[in-house]
Amino acid sequence: MELPAGFTYRPIQNGATDEYFLNMGPQHPSTHGVLRLVLRLDGENIIEIVPHLGYVHRGIEKMGENQTYLQNIHLTDRLDYLSAYSNNLALCLAIEEALEIGVPERGEYLRVMICELQRIQSHLLWWGVLGMDMGAVTSFLYGFKEREPITDIFEELCGARLTMNFFRPGGSAFDAPETFLPRVREVISSIRKAVDEFHTLLTHNVIFQERTKGIGVLSREKALAYGCSGAVLRGSGVDYDVRKNQPYSLYDQFDFSVPTGTTGDCFDRYLVRLEEMLQATNILEQAVRRFPGGPHRSKVKAQYKLPAGSYWSQVESARGLFGVYVVADGSAKPYRIKYRSPSFSNLQVLSELVIGHKIADLVAIIATLDLVIPDIDR
Amino acid sequence: MGKVGIITRGVPKLIDPLPGGRHLIDGIEFIVSWARANSLWPLVYGTACCAMEMMSTGGSRHDWARFGVEVARATPRQADLIVLAGTIVEKMSRPLVTLYQQMPGPKYVIAMGSCAISGGPFIYDSYSVVKGGGRLIPVDVYIPGCPPRPEALLYGIMQLQKIIRTEGRRNPWQVKEPYQVPVADSFSAARTAWAVAELQPLRSPSVQAIKPTRLVRPEYPEVSRQAVKNQGLSGQAILSLIQKTFPAVRPVGPDGLLTDALAAPDSPADLLVPTGSYCDLVNFLKNEPALGMDFLQWITAVDWPDRFDVVSRFLSTSKGHAVVVRTAVDRDEMVLPSLTPLFPAASWHEREVYDLFGIRFTGHPDLRRLFLDDDFPGHPLRKDFRDESRVMARPY
Amino acid sequence: MSVFPDKVLYPPNNPIGDLVRTLVPAPFSDVLNGGLAIFSLLALASLTPVVLIWLERKVAAHFQARLGPMRVGWHGTLQPVADGIKLMFKEILKPEGADTFLFFLAPILPATASFLVLTVLPFDHHLQVTDLNAGVLFVIAASGLSIFGVLLAGWSSNNKYSLLGGIRAGAQMISFEISLALLMLLIVLLSGTASLRGIVLAQQGTILDWWIFKFPLFGLVAFILFLISSTAELNRGPFDIVEAESELTGGFTTEYSGISFAMFFFAEFVNMFVAAALATTLFLGGFLAPQMGWGMLDRLLDAVPGFVWFFAKTYGVIFIYMWFRWTFPRLRVDQLMVFEWKVLLPMHLFLLAVAGFFITMEWIPL
Repeated sequence: MELPAGFTYRPIQNGATDEYFLNMGPQHPSTHGVLRLVLRLDGENIIEIVPHLGYVHRGIEKMGENQTYLQNIHLTDRLDYLSAYSNNLALCLAIEEALEIGVPERGEYLRVMICELQRIQSHLLWWGVLGMDMGAVTSFLYGFKEREPITDIFEELCGARLTMNFFRPGGSAFDAPETFLPRVREVISSIRKAVDEFHTLLTHNVIFQERTKGIGVLSREKALAYGCSGAVLRGSGVDYDVRKNQPYSLYDQFDFSVPTGTTGDCFDRYLVRLEEMLQATNILEQAVRRFPGGPHRSKVKAQYKLPAGSYWSQVESARGLFGVYVVADGSAKPYRIKYRSPSFSNLQVLSELVIGHKIADLVAIIATLDLVIPDIDR
Repeated sequence: MGKVGIITRGVPKLIDPLPGGRHLIDGIEFIVSWARANSLWPLVYGTACCAMEMMSTGGSRHDWARFGVEVARATPRQADLIVLAGTIVEKMSRPLVTLYQQMPGPKYVIAMGSCAISGGPFIYDSYSVVKGGGRLIPVDVYIPGCPPRPEALLYGIMQLQKIIRTEGRRNPWQVKEPYQVPVADSFSAARTAWAVAELQPLRSPSVQAIKPTRLVRPEYPEVSRQAVKNQGLSGQAILSLIQKTFPAVRPVGPDGLLTDALAAPDSPADLLVPTGSYCDLVNFLKNEPALGMDFLQWITAVDWPDRFDVVSRFLSTSKGHAVVVRTAVDRDEMVLPSLTPLFPAASWHEREVYDLFGIRFTGHPDLRRLFLDDDFPGHPLRKDFRDESRVMARPY
Repeated sequence: MSVFPDKVLYPPNNPIGDLVRTLVPAPFSDVLNGGLAIFSLLALASLTPVVLIWLERKVAAHFQARLGPMRVGWHGTLQPVADGIKLMFKEILKPEGADTFLFFLAPILPATASFLVLTVLPFDHHLQVTDLNAGVLFVIAASGLSIFGVLLAGWSSNNKYSLLGGIRAGAQMISFEISLALLMLLIVLLSGTASLRGIVLAQQGTILDWWIFKFPLFGLVAFILFLISSTAELNRGPFDIVEAESELTGGFTTEYSGISFAMFFFAEFVNMFVAAALATTLFLGGFLAPQMGWGMLDRLLDAVPGFVWFFAKTYGVIFIYMWFRWTFPRLRVDQLMVFEWKVLLPMHLFLLAVAGFFITMEWIPL
């Protein structure tokens, strides 16, 4: 028999039940886009799993070599479209580091606030989709309902709901409108209420706890060895958060805590993300109180030419450690641009997590890893 | 032409000549097309950003259920409509065509967003993006936007309903041929048109010349830079620790050239390692207690004219310091030992480098292409990669 | 020995049937009566899903802070009609390698099964096709037929997702069949009759004489257990592992298109109606009015025709089913089995024992 790609031949022991292969994707409702998984199954139990990538591999890194640095910002939106602001910020930080551009205080506050809003928005979508994957369709709608006001804020800021292209080296493209602060205040209170609601609807549900507790346990060592980041790493008990450990922008001036899990199962990852939403509202609340006046951008240049050398910047996006590695040759376009996407490493650990679990658990595990496939494929 | 059915063709032919039969068939046609228009069950299909807006359309605020579209089916056998939400790449084109073929007729296609229309932002320079879903399957409605707003998708669905309502025996639904866009010719035509135009003498401006205006940019103050705060050991300390064991390791300066010492003691450590001691050094980084680099962030390669640099970044999550390690790979050999035994995370990163650069890693357990099809010619991230059939060069 | 000889207030004969019998000579009257019954049940069986699909979509929408179908007819009332007509005029595909005969036979079986159960349901005092004295047994036997449809669909489709769905369905439905049978047995034990009409008549009196209240506390428990077991038997959320869209794309219906999918779709909703009607008959006093024991009000409530009460109660139970589905996440396969064999089944056996004890001690007024 010809085995699917990535599998190795294993003789079936005497008396063991027969195995078969199941193809999930690239079009499958629980693979969140176009991830393709090939499973080796014994009945419903997963023996082995091989993910296949590249079904939205668009060659963004190659395209980046032919576009100027400013044009590259709009490409970062389309990597992880759920944390487009953080991605923009990462590239802008790299450019700022190379050209030593400063950012005015208002610009920094705007950056922090918008990134946190984006984090909440992304987690809301994740929460909804998680519920839908577990069979509770209503949570999907509740997540999207809470997400819309945040999308409204983004729309007022830059005219886009999803792909923002908003940050620039030295600040942001536009200043915050007058309605920005009142709307953020509104969102803060509505999100706090919503998280309470989420706990009653899903967290305290017995079926949900049965489905997630002890499922997909990721040990601390394994999480580090596979380069997981974000809530996946923190769910396993590693308190690594770029915002705390290598603070960029103004994150060292805000008082917030980094939630960590203890066992590293799906339920821990779930709780960490919900708590992160509340922590984000804390940051937002402090930022709203201290939001300063003044300019939002320091310098405007027609062209950004980075001096030859290599530059690295990293941010904590909603999914984890997102970074940009730029190799510049002194021209207006990067010589090589590499994006370190968090989902890429978070997905890699999947093949370790699902062994011995059921197909239904696979769905729960994928959902709590919070993958964005275009971010993986780039 | 689709299949000719007995019921859809034969029965109307029998009934039509009967007195009043025409009206009967007209009535049935009206009801059937009305039912088809108002019961569009979409396939759960979304590749990229547009899928998020498609989900928003299903959300509480926009609610496509009002049009009866909320019965999203995961299996193509029960779907009537496929919304091409997001970029379609070469590897996805075959599954997409299969999905379309698996749907029962009559079936409709909406191309949502620039990527599904033409390739959108990825039309130039990309070696894998299909320039529009209309080249693979016949599209009925195009919705522009990047991504289009949910209202736009709803409007697109309404337009599709309008199209379906006009269907009947005079204008039956049939499988159309996918629209093939001529690729290079549109530009060559434009170029010849311009060339002709340039030969013509310039027309003198008939009306008053437009006053040149200039966008007034606001004056922004200079603000000093707030650098990223690094923790843990300084670059200099890391370098001296490593050089004790590996004297051949040398730092790379900010300009990308080899130097003897770091520019400043706390500037990030960027080290060039001889290929021979590459694995040993990474092992040292991981296991030396003072360094404790337990986290491999990424591995990538840079294509220089004379060599390939394989660059990787290691981080200590407990201490906070990081180091960039690079090693030169010969253009002729293109082989490097794999880091997978040390860091399982290296596995996919190395597969990616193999896929896009062609550098082979010895000792890698499963070195296959990661992103591209096995029969993709060449390694696209190399500077010498040329593929005219795939890459559309910028006309400007 | 009949348990309730003096409580029978209504003649079991159907006035329409009697009228036919007086007008038409003997052998033809039975044929005509049968034809009438089949026609009315068919009308019911084809209208119920139309109403229920609309209701399901609207209920779900309002749970989810949205509107649901709005564009066809008043508040989208014609939406299921449009869906039905569209499915009828869709291409029917058969996958390569599928077993043609079984593939097209499978969708017919679940619909047939639920249709058979409708024949013994007492809709009103005189509105019942036939009152079998082993009606409960007939219900159990007939509803078991629908498992075959699902299993055959899963097997004949030549698709691994379908097969997984079919196997899951087999395991789940057979297990929960036992639960349901035990609960029906409980009511049979309490009522002293296996005829569905007899069970309803055993609940005459006030609202407290319904089995949900008459069997103190345990009746309520039994009712809740019945709701749970029948939800599982119906393959509805949170027990919809058979169709589990996020896992098996479409479960056993993965390869079905057009009218053959519509058959499954419709049978699902008729089944839901049947299950709710059974819950009504067994626990909620069927077609009896909810009398409170206050003279005036009772007479007023009694004036409302019985089938109105029957449908009102049934739709109330259906609403609970929908509530379940749109609130809970889905259970896993093994958890479902553990839940059935280790939790539900012992509880049912315990309930049976308690009922036996109550009857021997004569604590339940019969």
